[in-house]
Amino acid sequence: MTEIETVPAAERARGEGIAARVLRIALTERVVLLAVLLVVVVVWFRVLGAGGYLVAPYDVRYLGNALESMVPFALLAVAELFVIVSGRGGIDLSVGAIVSLAGMAFGFMVGVWEWPLLPSIVGCIVVGALLGAVNGALVAYVRFPALIATLATYYAYSSLALISNGNAPISTPPVVALHSLTRNVNFPEPLPPVPLHVFTILLPCALLAWVVVSRSTYGRSLYAVGTNDVAAAYATQSVARTRFTAFVMSGLLSGVVAVVTVGQFASARPDAGIVGNGMALPAITVAVLGGVAIQGGIGRVGGVLVAALLVTWLNAGMLLAFPEGAEGSRYQLLALGLVLVLSALLNTVALRRYGRLS
Amino acid sequence: MTSTATTAAAAPTRRRPRVRAIEGQEIALIGVVGLLWVVLSLVTDTFLTTGNLQNILFTVAPIALIGIGMTAVIVTAGIDVSVGSQAAVVMVIVALLVRDSGLPFLPAVAVAVVVGLVLGAVNGLLVAYGGIHPIIVTFGTLNIYRFVSLQIFGTEQVAGVPPTLAPIGGGAEGKLLGVPTAWWLTLVLAAGMWCYMRFWATGRHLYAVGGDAFAARLAGVRVRRRQISAYVLTGACVGLAACILIGSGGLVQQNVGTGLELRVIAAVVIGGTSIIGGRGTVLGTVLGALLVGTVSSAVTLLSWPSELAQLFIGLFILVAVGVDLLRERRRSAR
Repeated sequence: MTEIETVPAAERARGEGIAARVLRIALTERVVLLAVLLVVVVVWFRVLGAGGYLVAPYDVRYLGNALESMVPFALLAVAELFVIVSGRGGIDLSVGAIVSLAGMAFGFMVGVWEWPLLPSIVGCIVVGALLGAVNGALVAYVRFPALIATLATYYAYSSLALISNGNAPISTPPVVALHSLTRNVNFPEPLPPVPLHVFTILLPCALLAWVVVSRSTYGRSLYAVGTNDVAAAYATQSVARTRFTAFVMSGLLSGVVAVVTVGQFASARPDAGIVGNGMALPAITVAVLGGVAIQGGIGRVGGVLVAALLVTWLNAGMLLAFPEGAEGSRYQLLALGLVLVLSALLNTVALRRYGRLS
Repeated sequence: MTSTATTAAAAPTRRRPRVRAIEGQEIALIGVVGLLWVVLSLVTDTFLTTGNLQNILFTVAPIALIGIGMTAVIVTAGIDVSVGSQAAVVMVIVALLVRDSGLPFLPAVAVAVVVGLVLGAVNGLLVAYGGIHPIIVTFGTLNIYRFVSLQIFGTEQVAGVPPTLAPIGGGAEGKLLGVPTAWWLTLVLAAGMWCYMRFWATGRHLYAVGGDAFAARLAGVRVRRRQISAYVLTGACVGLAACILIGSGGLVQQNVGTGLELRVIAAVVIGGTSIIGGRGTVLGTVLGALLVGTVSSAVTLLSWPSELAQLFIGLFILVAVGVDLLRERRRSAR
């Protein structure tokens, strides 16, 4: 191991064969690996469909429709990226609870107080950011371990969300009308209809997140703090403020997801983000699959988005392959768990073998 | 050379720090729980009844029991969020065996513990040899174990489970001297674990692993073996807790155990165990579980909305960890 490390990288690259190079790129360039897997998944289900094993065609139209369920998880996975990259055990278990509570706030603004749409959306996102700021203050300034702080706020926020309207959803006519936010947009054939919020919410948010993470001074500071906070502090980075902002970004994105879920359900449900295993777990899974290292300092927005797409289309395919009752969603659990553990193992192998991970 | 010689000479004369039988956090917790009990028995006339106290102890038992293993895991700087799904797997297997094959009490408990051990061992091996962060491993196995349990369930829940496990259940059979046997079981195991972690060499090694795994390895601690043992122990505890949860039988639903992990971790953390590892006791965990159980019961008795209990649990976590952080900061500033 140590012998390899003394050889310069360039020299190593020249000495390796094609197979070794392909392996290295597949292991260290997570986006490449995920893109290959994505193609494999789509082709696999197409073949299954051609062989008559699926109950409905796994075609372009179906894949376009499936994007609807991708939006919340892609956004929350990007939210987890901010927090996990910020280091020191950064993790946000409370995103699902924020989605619930901000969604209820949104429901009250639109459905009860009858605010116009735009101020309500802004209000919902602000509520999300404020809830994230509470997490951030606890973790960055009071120095709670992130797991504990967000576990506590998970409880607190979900409790408040459930109490806020006596455990009942808000589905007054103005809230039901919000469903138009998530309607399908039709394109000329052969393009499939695609949910509107993929364009109005997911893509702009992803682009903004990419700019912030990869093209701004804050982004550089985030990676510096996440990689080594002592070194970052000596390099005049404000460690606490960088971490605080990461949690605010996570809350803000959760607020955006709250708008989306209220639109999708046509109702502000107090348990939207916490029912079952909640939204935090799948989000963390997608982030890790997308190449975010749990130790902090490593991870890219592009990888997370491709991972979200992969999980979405894999899940959509399994719903067609296992149509009986809840069997499809059951196999989704298995796939999610296996994919998470295997991708983490892959991260370990890549780090041990090449000492880096993109 | 000279400096080492002087410290070595000075060491025997220095007074050894006294080993305290009980930590400050635990005293505080006993105070809070005691205060709550006094206030609740004054405010409501239903709290201080045998039935209610038995009920609190019975509902707390599985959480405290899993907390025993979870304390060991968190002390080694790990975490296990898959306990809820583990419980689901054990419960469905045991419930089916008891109902369809008429398995008697002791074999049923043995099967539960063995299944728990296996599930825990998978977690332990992945953490120790896979080089994966424990939270990622157990998030993964949380999903996988849930799949396994649903697969065994088939299409429907398990109904009509006979009361084979009633001796540790919540009914009249499950009482010994007026206290639920489940609680006696928890107390005995907690006492055993407390002694193990305090007086046994390998028990002390758990703290060493959590404090600094690298230094522990250099000092001759078998780090991987200790990590695996903590997860395996948690699995065994989950097995026992699952038997308590099946108890006097009846219905085992497909969503059993969801959210259990968070309640257990909350109890452990409120009990003063540091999530960073290297510090914590089983006594604190049992007290933390009692506090959580008392609060949940109080919210019901005061006829407040039951969701309010979660808010209090969240606040208790913040207060418990916040006080601990302040003490730690004062200690390091000194």
